Amino acid sequence: MKMKWFKTLAFTTLALAVMATAIPVASAASKLSGKIVINGSSALLPLTLQAAKEFKKANPKVKISASAAGSITGPQSVRKGIADIGAVDWDASTDVPGFKKFEGQVAHKVAVIPFAAVVNKNVGVDNLTTKQLQDIFSGKVKNWKDVGGSDAAIVVVNRAFGSGTRVNFQIKALNGTDFMSKGDNYKEVKSSGDMKTAVETTPNAIGYIDLVYVTSKMKALKINDVAPTEANVINGKYKVWGYGYYMTKGQPTGAVKAFIQYVQSKEFQNGSLKKLKFIPISAMK
Amino acid sequence: MSTNQPTVNNPFASSRKNGNRIKNVLFTTLVWGVGICTIIFIIGLLFLILEKGMPKLSFDFLIGIPDEIMEGGGIGPALFNSFYVLIISLIISIPLGMAAGIYLSEFAPDNKFIGFIRICVEGLASVPSIIFGLFGIVIFVETFDIGLTIIGGAVSLAFLNLPVLTRVTEEAMRAVPQEMKHASFALGGTHLQTIRRVLIPVALNGIITGICLVAGRAFGESAVIILTAGVTTSGEMWDFNLFSPGETLAVHLWYVQSEAIVPDATEIAEKAAAVLVFIVLLINLVFRIPLWMNNRKMSTK
Amino acid sequence: MLEVSATANRQAASELGTSLKTSSGSTFGRRARLAFYNKSFKLICIACAVFVCIILFSILFLMGRTGILTFQHVSPAEFFFSTEWVPENEQYGGLVFIFGTFALTALTMLIAMPLSILIAVFLAEMTPGWLRTMLRPVLDLLVGIPSVVYGFLGMTLLIPLLRDVTGTTMGDGLLAAAIVLTIMVLPTISRISDDAITAVPKKYRDASYALGATRFHTIFRVVLPAAKSGMMYAGILGMARAIGETMAVVMVIGNTPQLADSLFKPTSVLTSNIVMQIANVPFDSTWNYALYLMGFLLLIISLVMIVLIRFIQRKGVRG
Repeated sequence: MKMKWFKTLAFTTLALAVMATAIPVASAASKLSGKIVINGSSALLPLTLQAAKEFKKANPKVKISASAAGSITGPQSVRKGIADIGAVDWDASTDVPGFKKFEGQVAHKVAVIPFAAVVNKNVGVDNLTTKQLQDIFSGKVKNWKDVGGSDAAIVVVNRAFGSGTRVNFQIKALNGTDFMSKGDNYKEVKSSGDMKTAVETTPNAIGYIDLVYVTSKMKALKINDVAPTEANVINGKYKVWGYGYYMTKGQPTGAVKAFIQYVQSKEFQNGSLKKLKFIPISAMK
Repeated sequence: MSTNQPTVNNPFASSRKNGNRIKNVLFTTLVWGVGICTIIFIIGLLFLILEKGMPKLSFDFLIGIPDEIMEGGGIGPALFNSFYVLIISLIISIPLGMAAGIYLSEFAPDNKFIGFIRICVEGLASVPSIIFGLFGIVIFVETFDIGLTIIGGAVSLAFLNLPVLTRVTEEAMRAVPQEMKHASFALGGTHLQTIRRVLIPVALNGIITGICLVAGRAFGESAVIILTAGVTTSGEMWDFNLFSPGETLAVHLWYVQSEAIVPDATEIAEKAAAVLVFIVLLINLVFRIPLWMNNRKMSTK
Repeated sequence: MLEVSATANRQAASELGTSLKTSSGSTFGRRARLAFYNKSFKLICIACAVFVCIILFSILFLMGRTGILTFQHVSPAEFFFSTEWVPENEQYGGLVFIFGTFALTALTMLIAMPLSILIAVFLAEMTPGWLRTMLRPVLDLLVGIPSVVYGFLGMTLLIPLLRDVTGTTMGDGLLAAAIVLTIMVLPTISRISDDAITAVPKKYRDASYALGATRFHTIFRVVLPAAKSGMMYAGILGMARAIGETMAVVMVIGNTPQLADSLFKPTSVLTSNIVMQIANVPFDSTWNYALYLMGFLLLIISLVMIVLIRFIQRKGVRG
């Protein structure tokens, strides 16, 4: 009877599963109900998750599920009809380098995201001009000594094509110059977290990242002598920032509309959104 | 087996004896060396992972709700989902995988078709998890339109586990000595009875190894779950609804490591990794203890 | 989905039926009933085996259907033989990734296979019993460590180490990926080989020792050949996992579409390229099709490798 425990286990789990399936899907009773599926930019995910949590507290009958892959996934999922809201780091209702606009989608600004060029702690450079940044990221300048640093090869860390951060950095910091795509000291990483780790641990590395993720273990560069701070973004001196958008198919209705309104509300923008170190949209003129 | 010492003074001593002995000693040293290095390596690796996370673990962390802004968020719903998804996927994949494995080892005639099935199984085992994720999206999100759900994640995970279970079962059944099978047949047992009462119990050790491997892999899998079950939980503990979004612990770990903004993200990642490893160890134990007890019972009889 | 649970339930039901059978009375022919159970059990088993194939083929179909669209815009010659992967400029050469996948898999197996077999021999033949009962679950544990953790450790520990040891600027590349992969497939290969070696009947060893063979001879001439099939299968499973692993590889390989002429040059393989880009490309673009084609190719490569190994194995047995 060696099999006995095994059988008991199998039956118990089976019974459990049957019970679980029997529990009905939450019945609608409150004034606002429905299912919101959000997909898209992973940079906006913390914001979305926080907003979803607060929104669900006020509207317990609304089910929100969020996932994230890459910015372009957002508007695409919306177009395909598998997501109600597509989070994206650029205005997907217009053309940007590499991506055509999405017809029939409405963009809702939800946050201001500043970006920063970052280097490993061992790099002696504090400030780069737009021209120098262009040269480094396009692979023309390969040594730190050419931009005022010590004699060491520059390790360029880039995000994968299609990353919202990359699109924004390319437009705002490099004025649209193309990135290099190969080289001995060049690598691409998959997420902000990987970028953080790569720049922190690789000597002579340069990369770029959302200002939120900048830690004390790396150095954020001044661009054209302007430091990447929240104040400089708001007063218009620091140009490397972009809006985060929620895309919807046409004008949103019902729960989706209420959710977006909640994210844009003063309460959320000046509360949780600020705590997450994004900049409220109302701060920009 | 290890107690079998080679006879040093063998009567067939020849000129090759010395070379043989040196080879033997060298080989034994090499194997012991590799073995000890592996042990040190594994202990080091586990220590590295557990040492960072374990001391800071608290019960609140295990059942707490994740937090995006404040420090001190927990992993409760993700941890629960991990188990829930794992159990559902095992319920689906164990019977299917075992049945397929039994077919391959017991019923299958040795012809081209079976060779073909076997290649299919091995081929499926090599499918990258991200492709299972894409497959899951096509089935659950696009075809059935149920969004990102626990059930979608669990079934995709079951597909991922199926080939390994099948092959492990087949291999374990094959390893059962033919004599046992013949004895059962000779006693008048039908094929089914033989499989149920003789082959499976004897092969159980191997099958359990397979289940442990699979459960461990499923527990740590993130790519499939991100695509099919999402990166959110329903935000409450004990949510048995199969259609809730089902972020598991491994996915939470990925999220915290790659995107989260919380100030204590690194700490959460370390703790989550420690919990994951600890639970996989636990799963191994839970599956094995009955086996050990059985073995002891059998040997004392 | 419905089909899956239905089969699962039927399977469980048949188990239930067979276990009840012994206690129920002999109302109708016991023999007929047993025959019926036998037959239905066999059918269920066949259904399950076929189901596994169906999954593989649906996946192949899914990837192939989308992937084949690539050739509307890109010639097969360009895809397979060009090393220029610059999708922004409509250049879709996949050779870098195909080569990378082969090189990485070969390198991984080169390191992992001998090591795993030694570990398996250690576990099955040399360790005292108590150590064995402790070590086996711990090895299983290595499988359960999420690939993200392996990748993270690779990025933060292994790569700086490689950088120091070799003096390269970056450290990312084939060797780093192969080492991480080796650690990941090690438990799979060694545990299954271990089981295969343990399953070799004791009488073989006794006979060998009785003939005066040393332990080295016994293991190499008797035990390992007897466990060959199991070890081969362990190798295939390990290789399959190495080909398909994504999350960890992507963190240490560098993800640069250039041919790796050294072990330390950042390069890219099929899986890492798919995972890096699949979430970031427009659905209806050649780029997306090309990525699906790569997925399809990956499946084909592993299938071909499996067939090849089986073929070699059969030849080896005959020869």
